[in-house]
Amino acid sequence: MFTELNSILNSTPDSFTQGEFILVSDRRSDASFLIHHFLSLYLRARCRVWFLGLVQSFNHYSAVSQRLGVSLAQAKEKGQLVFLEGLKESLSVLIPQETNTGSQAMDFLRDPAVGLKSLYEFVRSSVSSSSGRDEGADGAEEWGPPVLLVDDLSVLLSLGVSVGAVLDFSHYCRATVCSQLQGNVVMLARCDGEEEEDDEDDEGSERLLKGLTHQCSLTLHVQGLPTGYCRDIHGQVEVCWRRRQGDGQHAQKKVFQYKVHDKGASFFARGTSSAVL
Amino acid sequence: MLTELLQGTDAGGFLLIQDSACLSGRHLLRSFINAALNREEAVHVLGFEVGEEELKDGLKGSPIQRLHFHNAYTDPLGWTDNPTFTVHQFCLEELTRLVKQTSHPKPATLVIDSLSWILRHHSPPAVCKTLQQLRKGGAVRAIIALLHADMHQRGTVGSVCQLATSVVTVAPGMKGDEAVAKITKRSKSGKVMQDEEIFSIKEDLTVAVQSRPSHLGPKQTDPEEQETDPTANLTFNLRLSDTEREAKEKLSLPFVFSKEKKTALLHSGPGSGRILYEPDANDDYDQEDPDDDLDV
Repeated sequence: MFTELNSILNSTPDSFTQGEFILVSDRRSDASFLIHHFLSLYLRARCRVWFLGLVQSFNHYSAVSQRLGVSLAQAKEKGQLVFLEGLKESLSVLIPQETNTGSQAMDFLRDPAVGLKSLYEFVRSSVSSSSGRDEGADGAEEWGPPVLLVDDLSVLLSLGVSVGAVLDFSHYCRATVCSQLQGNVVMLARCDGEEEEDDEDDEGSERLLKGLTHQCSLTLHVQGLPTGYCRDIHGQVEVCWRRRQGDGQHAQKKVFQYKVHDKGASFFARGTSSAVL
Repeated sequence: MLTELLQGTDAGGFLLIQDSACLSGRHLLRSFINAALNREEAVHVLGFEVGEEELKDGLKGSPIQRLHFHNAYTDPLGWTDNPTFTVHQFCLEELTRLVKQTSHPKPATLVIDSLSWILRHHSPPAVCKTLQQLRKGGAVRAIIALLHADMHQRGTVGSVCQLATSVVTVAPGMKGDEAVAKITKRSKSGKVMQDEEIFSIKEDLTVAVQSRPSHLGPKQTDPEEQETDPTANLTFNLRLSDTEREAKEKLSLPFVFSKEKKTALLHSGPGSGRILYEPDANDDYDQEDPDDDLDV
């Protein structure tokens, strides 16, 4: 986890806001470094984490998390981390074999028009079965609130799922994990094109992003620098707090610049990079 | 005009609040709900997008009893075994039955949060038909709906707006606390009135309308935002102590001329070199001071 980002978001492994739906998005950039931050943050906070890794293998996340000081393999063994390896599971759907007893989570690949109900069922059954078990078990470890991480939602659009189906899925995840179980949800959505005022919604990812923005309580939007490529500053992050308890309608926005390095990322106010000053 | 709308819509009225990703219109929706509850009306809320606690956050006091929240948030599509209210139940018969369940002398106000959810699952003509039937039906007195204008095509938004008797479009304002509302109101006689107002919502959910927005002026930066101090965290010192600051103010710059400086430069002081000039026969010695016309 990145300590500077923790202070920006006012969250530590010991105290963080519960019931939050965090949207991590990027436009022509790569915001996946933030997914690694949240993964290591919530694992350190002793929460149970359900990770839908649809775009990378388990080893990838494991290798990066190792650099951040968290062992995914260990967490998986202890039962703290439940990892849905989308790439492997999709093989079992596309190349069915008798020995396969995989879950039905990736069934939407067979018929994308059906929607993501089976994926949601996988999440719901696994999340609620564990919370039931925790209450009665003796000697079992006390875990924190449940956390769902999805990396990423936009790939579902490429697989043929409609924008409406993805928004329904994220709605149900929010209703179950955030509202019912007081856990957190972090989802990554990516956008390729420039932001347009166009109404012709050929670009599903724009509509997906807008829909998710309406649903979430905190957004982190990653973009490249408007002035172009810079070796020392990799881009900017716009943090927007959308729902504040009792504080009224207004979203609070802050922009930071960041640099990703080997063991983390540093965040600083615009123009104050140590390379520039 | 916003205050008039808050005081009550006419029977058969349909108020539409449009918002976008930049600013959520839900807080204004809460103000309208609060105003309706204070008028002793029964309010039925079809909650698709937020749960009951979140919507009721901020609505305090006894009028809450008249608020009936129909939970369409936990399971709007019927994916579990016992859904409370699904989006497929959005039709005249179901809604009339729902509203008539609670016995109340006056016809109720129906609040829809949000219409965008319904428009994702039903075709726009079907939704418009249901809304129109509800208005004429008599089971509900007025309808207030929230719509996320940036999630639909312009045609869809336009059709729903045509159906509404009043449309309030909210957008972020110049200062942190304020928002701009563009209001269009259609009266029964067919007259259309438009207005634009700056408003802010107080803690008790009453709306304070400020003046009309002026279109001049750049966007003011949020006064609470603290600028980070760029002179911090450096290996060298960029700050000035008080004596240093005084000396800096006193310093006279080299190429700014004051009278003393001019005379000091043009007339050499004691001890400095003097130029003795003895003109030849060929020189054109002009007694006038060649620098006289300098405007320094």
